Amino acid sequence: MTKTKLLATAGLLALGWTAAAQATQPTTSGPLGAGMTMYMQMGGNPGDGATLARQTGAADAAHAFGIKVIEQFSAWNPETMLDQFRQAMAARPTCIGITGHPGDAAFDPLIAQAEKEGTLVTVGNTPLPVAEATYGAKGTGYAGVDLYIGGEITAQAMLAAGLKSGDEALEYGVFNETTRSQSDRGLRDTLVKAGVKVTELNISPQVDSDSSLAVPILVAFLESHPHLKGIGTQHGGVTGFIPQALRQVGKQPGQIIVGGIDLAPSTIAGLQQKYITATLDQQLYLQGFLPVTQCVLSARYHFAGLNINTGAGVETPSTIDSLIPLIKRGIR
Amino acid sequence: MSTHLSSKTPEVRAPGLLPRLARVEGLPIILVFVILVVFFMIAAPQVFLGWPIYLSFLTTVPPMLVLAIGLTLVVAAGEIDLSFPSTLAFAGYLFSVCETQLGSPWLGLVAALAGGALIGLVNGTLVAVVGVPSIIVTIGTQFFWAGAASILSGGQSDALQELDGTAIYNIFAGNLFGVLPMQALWALAIAVFMWFILNRHRFGEHVLFIGDSRTVARVAGVNVVLETIKLFTLMGVLGGFAAVLLTIENLNYFSTQGQGYLLPALAGVFIGGTSVFGGTATIVGTFFGTFIIGMLEAGVVATGIAGFWVQAIEGIVFVAAVVLHLVVESPAKLRALSGIVGLRREQ
Repeated sequence: MTKTKLLATAGLLALGWTAAAQATQPTTSGPLGAGMTMYMQMGGNPGDGATLARQTGAADAAHAFGIKVIEQFSAWNPETMLDQFRQAMAARPTCIGITGHPGDAAFDPLIAQAEKEGTLVTVGNTPLPVAEATYGAKGTGYAGVDLYIGGEITAQAMLAAGLKSGDEALEYGVFNETTRSQSDRGLRDTLVKAGVKVTELNISPQVDSDSSLAVPILVAFLESHPHLKGIGTQHGGVTGFIPQALRQVGKQPGQIIVGGIDLAPSTIAGLQQKYITATLDQQLYLQGFLPVTQCVLSARYHFAGLNINTGAGVETPSTIDSLIPLIKRGIR
Repeated sequence: MSTHLSSKTPEVRAPGLLPRLARVEGLPIILVFVILVVFFMIAAPQVFLGWPIYLSFLTTVPPMLVLAIGLTLVVAAGEIDLSFPSTLAFAGYLFSVCETQLGSPWLGLVAALAGGALIGLVNGTLVAVVGVPSIIVTIGTQFFWAGAASILSGGQSDALQELDGTAIYNIFAGNLFGVLPMQALWALAIAVFMWFILNRHRFGEHVLFIGDSRTVARVAGVNVVLETIKLFTLMGVLGGFAAVLLTIENLNYFSTQGQGYLLPALAGVFIGGTSVFGGTATIVGTFFGTFIIGMLEAGVVATGIAGFWVQAIEGIVFVAAVVLHLVVESPAKLRALSGIVGLRREQ
C-alpha cells in the first residue's frame, strides 16, 4: 500500500469516527414510554368500523414507545365514558385518553381531580375545548376531527357531487348529544346555506346500537319523499346500510347523493357499488396513535397539548380501491 | 284463542261481541296491527300504498320475529332469556368464519345453529340443574357470549358480499317470484311450526304447565329439568337461525350485531299478549306484535313527523296499542284496573 493510500484510509477513518461521535444520542437508553401506563377510551365496540383503526394506532404507538395501553370501550355511551374515567383514575395511571362525548361540563370535575392527582388527560375523537384551554399547558391535547368542520366537509362533497339549491335532502343523525351532534349540525348547516331543503331525522337508540334497524326507516322516508336528492349522515354504522335501503326502493347507484362517515366494510362495498358518493375519512389510526404519543411526550418532557385535526377529507368511489389493503389491516 | 292453563283467576264471561272476539287467538293485536296499517295508509299513502315499504319490513323484521317466537315459549314457561342478542353475534361469527376462512356457508349454517344450541344448553343447564334464576344466568351469558364473539373475531367486521346471488343467499334472503323475501317465508314457517309445538304438542303443553306452576307440573309428572333445558336449547337454535338470516341479508357480519334487538323483541312478545308471569302464550300475538314494533318507527317517519317527535309518538302508539289490546282481550282486567284507580265510582 502506498503512503498516499494509507493517508487517505486514515483520513476516512478519522472522518467516520468524528461523524459517529457527533451523531445525536437518544435521551433514554430504553423506550421513551417505559414504565408508563395509559388508560385509553376507544369509543365504540372492539373492532367495529369506527373503532378498529383507533385501536391499531394506539397499539402501534404503545409498541413504539414501550408504554402499556389499556383499552376501554363504551359503545359510544357518554355515561359509560364517565364511569370508565373514574375506573381509570382509581388505577393511578400516567395518562388517561378520553373521548369527549359527555362534554366539558360533565368531564371537568373529573379531569380536575385527575390532574390534581398527577394523571395527565388527553382527548380524542370529540373535543373538549374547556379542558384543552385549562390543562393544555400540562399536556391536554386533542387528536380528532373538528366535528363541525367534518360535517361541513361531507356536505361540501355532496354539493360537489351535484346536490344543489332547491334539492331535498335528509340529514339522518344524532341531534340530541351536545358535542357529538356537532358533526351532523355542520353537515345540515352547510347544505342549508347552499339552499338545499334539509329534513332532520334523529337516530333512535336502537338504530344507534344496531344500524341494520335503520333500513325500513330510510325506506319509509325515501318513499314519502319521492323528490329526495340526497342523504347525509355522520353515523358510521348507518352509512353502511344506506345502500340496502336504496336498493329496496329501486334506486340506482348515483341517483341519490349519499354523504356518510368512516370506512366500515359495508360502507366500502357501498362506495365500490357507487351507492355512497363520499364518506368522511377521520383517519382513525391517528386518533389512536397521537394521544399515546401526546401522553408519552408530556409525561416525559412536559410538552404542552397538541391540537391535531385528523380529518383530511372524504373517500369516494374513485379513491377507495387503493385503501382497501390498509383497511383490511385495520390501519385505515 | 290464546293458550292459557292458569286457574288463578276465574274468567269473567260477559255476553257481547268483544268477549266472543277475544276467543280468537291474537285477534286484538291483529286489530291493532290493521288499525295502524290503515292509519299509516291514510297518513302516508305514498309510502304505505306501495310495495317497497312492506318489502323492507319483510326483510328486516324476520330475524327479530324468529327471536320473539322463541322468546314467547321461554316467557310462557315463566322464564326469560336476555342472552339472545349475543347469540346473534356469536352464531353470526361462526357463520361468517366458515364462509370467509373455509369458503363453506352451508357449514356456517350448521355451525351457527350448533353454536346457538350450545348457548341455549348452557343457559338451560344453569337454570334447570343449578337453579340460578334465568334472568341472572342470561344477563351473565349475554356478556360472556358477546365477549367471546369479540375475542374470536378480534372485534372485526366481515364483508360477505361474495354470498350475493349464491344458493344459500337465494334460499335465505332471495326474493320468491322477485317480490316475496325468503326470510319472511322462513319466519312464517317457523311461526306456524312453533304454533303447533305450543298448542298441539306435548312439549308445548309442558312448557305452559311449567309456566303456570313448576311445582304442580313436577307433581303431575313433567320432567321440569329436561323440558327447561330443551326449551332454552330451542331458543338458542332459533337465535342461531336468526343470526344466519341477519348476516346473509346484510351481507356483512358485525361483532356487535343484535345489540339493538333486545327491547324490540321483548316488546313484540309482551304487546302480543304473552303473559309476563308465564302460563299464557300466543304465537299469533307475538307475530303481529313484532311486526307492529318493527314498523312503528318507519311508519311514524313516513307520516312526515321528523326530528325529536318520532320517539315520543312511538311511545304513545305503543301504549295505545297495549291498552286497546287489553280492552279487547281482557275486559275483566280493564274493569278491575278501573276499580283500582277509582274510575268505576265516577261512572
